[in-house]
Amino acid sequence: MPIKVYGTPTSTCTQRVLTTLIEKGLPYELIKVNLAAGEQKTQEYLDEKQPFGVVPVLIDEDGFKIYESRAICRYLELKYKGKGTELMPTNDVKALGLFEQAASIEMSYYDPMKGLGDPDEAKIALYREQLNAKLDVYEKILSKQPYLAGQDFTLADLFHLSYGNRLVKLNEGHFFESRPHVKDWWNRITSRPSWQQVLALA
Amino acid sequence: MGCSSSVSSSQPVHRTNNIQSSYDTRGTIVVYGMIQSPATQRILATLIEKGLKFQLKVINLKAGENLSRSYLEKQPFGTIPALDDVDGFTIYESRAISRYLEMKYKDKGTELIPKGNIKVEGLFEQAASIELSYFDSYANGIVTERIFKKMRGGEPDMNKVAELRRDLAKNLDVYDQILSTQSYLAGNMFTLADLFHLPLGSLLLKCGEGELFESRSHVKQWWNKISTRQAWKTVQAMA
Repeated sequence: MPIKVYGTPTSTCTQRVLTTLIEKGLPYELIKVNLAAGEQKTQEYLDEKQPFGVVPVLIDEDGFKIYESRAICRYLELKYKGKGTELMPTNDVKALGLFEQAASIEMSYYDPMKGLGDPDEAKIALYREQLNAKLDVYEKILSKQPYLAGQDFTLADLFHLSYGNRLVKLNEGHFFESRPHVKDWWNRITSRPSWQQVLALA
Repeated sequence: MGCSSSVSSSQPVHRTNNIQSSYDTRGTIVVYGMIQSPATQRILATLIEKGLKFQLKVINLKAGENLSRSYLEKQPFGTIPALDDVDGFTIYESRAISRYLEMKYKDKGTELIPKGNIKVEGLFEQAASIELSYFDSYANGIVTERIFKKMRGGEPDMNKVAELRRDLAKNLDVYDQILSTQSYLAGNMFTLADLFHLPLGSLLLKCGEGELFESRSHVKQWWNKISTRQAWKTVQAMA
């Protein structure tokens, strides 16, 4: 039984999981959940797939079910450690600590910025101000190292791809373009074949 | 609030002036933060669960100490906490710090992340993500309005609170379901995924939002279990 992902190719959270599967060289089947029709809120979905009523959900080859995109990605890295790209450092406690720091930075300072599609002008102005301040810090960090956790590409960088892409699609790519090290980092991570493949699915 | 102090988990409190740059802290874990800060409390709880000695160097937010050049060198986002390990290794972000402490001091004190079984670890990661996705921002939003805003002389936006409370309530209904078949969020073992809820959960109770837990029998049981742990009681006594 192949790995099954329940989600959609345009969902930012599903994209995270698909990118990871491709980085690890893992075959999978994407089973589309009809978000427009509210399939994820049906009792059947809530009972059998994801009790909070969101996508994605992953069912592994042996039937093991896991949800929450970042948890799924971490699980795939743990389970398929030797396959494809290494996406989390192994063994070195300091390197792992710095990876966790970078993963938390993504959740604390970047993920909240997904509100940029908001129609409320005042809110958008606030988001811009906050995102600018935070990306200034990213610029500082990335001036000393190529990736957020250090020298190597990790899940901490990968987790940024889908919302960053949404920013660019909203014509807000200048947030990255205006900061030379952020720009370099963004170009590097978005040009990875795995991400290009996921974009082609969307 | 605002006084410098250093605290060791197993010794009487002694005071240290935290601007004495000549104070040698090598060999000690140093926490930079404030006892009243939820994020700082998260790592204090972890340190105490692991039985680790530490010193607290107060970074007074009101006085803007988090924006000093020396602090920004440690934590470039200017938020608290940050931690220096015994060998001078610096790390920030409370959940990252807690995970790091668990990895580094695996054999000390309480085990806080299950190891050895990939499915169990996966379910831990799922639970840790649940805290972030469905609890943290709602609880933080409510507590910011009802406690922190007031502290700064502002008035809470009770419409915003009502909206956040409604969303958090829906999510806690799911928690109640999950906790009806297992004792803790990741399974049958207490983990960091539960611990991470303690600071904001306690503040929710303090500002009169306890009904969110009390009205859901499995959530109530879970909350009672985790909030009466000795390590958490110790942290609360410090604040």
